[in-house]
Amino acid sequence: MASVNRVNEHLSMLMSCYLDGALTPRELDEVVFALETDETAIAEFRRIQEVRRTMRLLPLLDVPAYLLPGDHLNEQLSAYLDGELATLEMPVVSAHLATCMECRRDLAELDKSRIAVRALPGLEPPEFLDVHRDVKQHRRRGLRTAIAVASGVAAVTLAFTVGPLASEQTPVAVSIGDLQSRHTAVASVSSGAVAVQVSATP
Amino acid sequence: MTFARRLVLVGASAILVFVVPVGGAVAGELEHVLDEANESTYTATRLIVSMWGGQTNVSREYVERANGMEMVKRDSDWSMAGNGKAASMGDKPTGVTFLTDAHGEETNRYTVVARSNVNHMSRPSRIIEVMEGDILRASLVVDDRSGALLIQELYDEGGDMYRRTTLSDFRAYRTYEAPMDESDVPMEIVMHEESELVPEDAGGYRLVDAFSGPGGSEQGYFTDGLFRFSLFVLDRRTIVSGFEDSNVFLTGSGVYDMVATPQAVRVHWSDGSNEYVLVGDVPPDHLRDILAELPDPRSGGMWARWWQRLFG
Repeated sequence: MASVNRVNEHLSMLMSCYLDGALTPRELDEVVFALETDETAIAEFRRIQEVRRTMRLLPLLDVPAYLLPGDHLNEQLSAYLDGELATLEMPVVSAHLATCMECRRDLAELDKSRIAVRALPGLEPPEFLDVHRDVKQHRRRGLRTAIAVASGVAAVTLAFTVGPLASEQTPVAVSIGDLQSRHTAVASVSSGAVAVQVSATP
Repeated sequence: MTFARRLVLVGASAILVFVVPVGGAVAGELEHVLDEANESTYTATRLIVSMWGGQTNVSREYVERANGMEMVKRDSDWSMAGNGKAASMGDKPTGVTFLTDAHGEETNRYTVVARSNVNHMSRPSRIIEVMEGDILRASLVVDDRSGALLIQELYDEGGDMYRRTTLSDFRAYRTYEAPMDESDVPMEIVMHEESELVPEDAGGYRLVDAFSGPGGSEQGYFTDGLFRFSLFVLDRRTIVSGFEDSNVFLTGSGVYDMVATPQAVRVHWSDGSNEYVLVGDVPPDHLRDILAELPDPRSGGMWARWWQRLFG
């Protein structure tokens, strides 16, 4: 039984290496022979393929920084005070605060700063500046609108030019010669010599 | 038995002997003819003249066929195909092996009509015609002894011939034992895969088998019993080389990139979500019917493509 398992493990390893393109011609013969004669080997080969395909299809997750060991809460502290944390983030942040003295101290400092800012008196401009203020406000509003529009246009342009490049994975290159060979191989199984084509060059 | 009865009997026998085999359509006959041709053994020079999409292409090649395998020498390149394998023996030999149950398909689409017996290249042969309803699709000269197809003429729906393949210097045996051995060629093994992107049928062609292809693509192999094609569905980011000098194939469903070779036609398009490549030996009118049932090409402008890339 142990030897059978060893053989299977050996074959599984060869099949895995085959999918990596790392077989010697002799090992390749062994795999081909097994796949042509042994149904168990075919099942095993499909299983390996399935596992690899599943692995490829798994989504890539960005782990939040505050979940990484040793990292402290930064932006989350401000959001915590503002009550803007996502529902799922709240227990994570609370749990971290319960155990991290440093973050509790940062939170207290941040809270004090906010209270101090809110306590500052508001300044009103003198009355003789009111007319100019209206004109300036009007001009500033126009300037702000122009800046906002320009920023928007710049952001959209940047997104359209850089975005596709950044989000794309490396494109795969396929030659028509390769595809033709694949068609030829399958077509050669079925009967018929009507225009059986063999592609030697792309 | 009276003379009149004898006369009727002889007349009926004559009709059975001469009329039925010549004019009748025999079920499974097409599959039988193609099977015999596939299993034939010969050495010959093959000349293919193709007139496809306004282009004329000619190919002259040395062919050696035995045991279901065909070895071809074109210019200085050797290649071979058969029994689910294809390999090219250039500087960097490569090959692919398909483990598939795909085999000859019985079809109701075509009927075979035996026309006459002839001597072609001093070989007893028979001419058969393959009909799709009233349309002549193929005229074949079949060598009686080997089963090889000495001449193949393929026609479009208008009755115009679009490909003619002839064998010359024909010998019904192998002239020398060329190395039909792919043991030194690194072979990629491809097995059946369930496919969600490839349709079950298109334009009267039935999906026989589906496989995973290069770069995460999917390959569907279709046949109608006489002609065959493969449809490759690739990721939209895939760069398909080989269509740099393509022609336009215009149908009611859109505009396609097309390259016609002597042996086959290759078509490429994108629907915005996927890239598609069709490779096969289908007649022009069949190709239109097939493309009409597949996703339409969507050219779109630069902004449309960017929008697609950004937001899917």
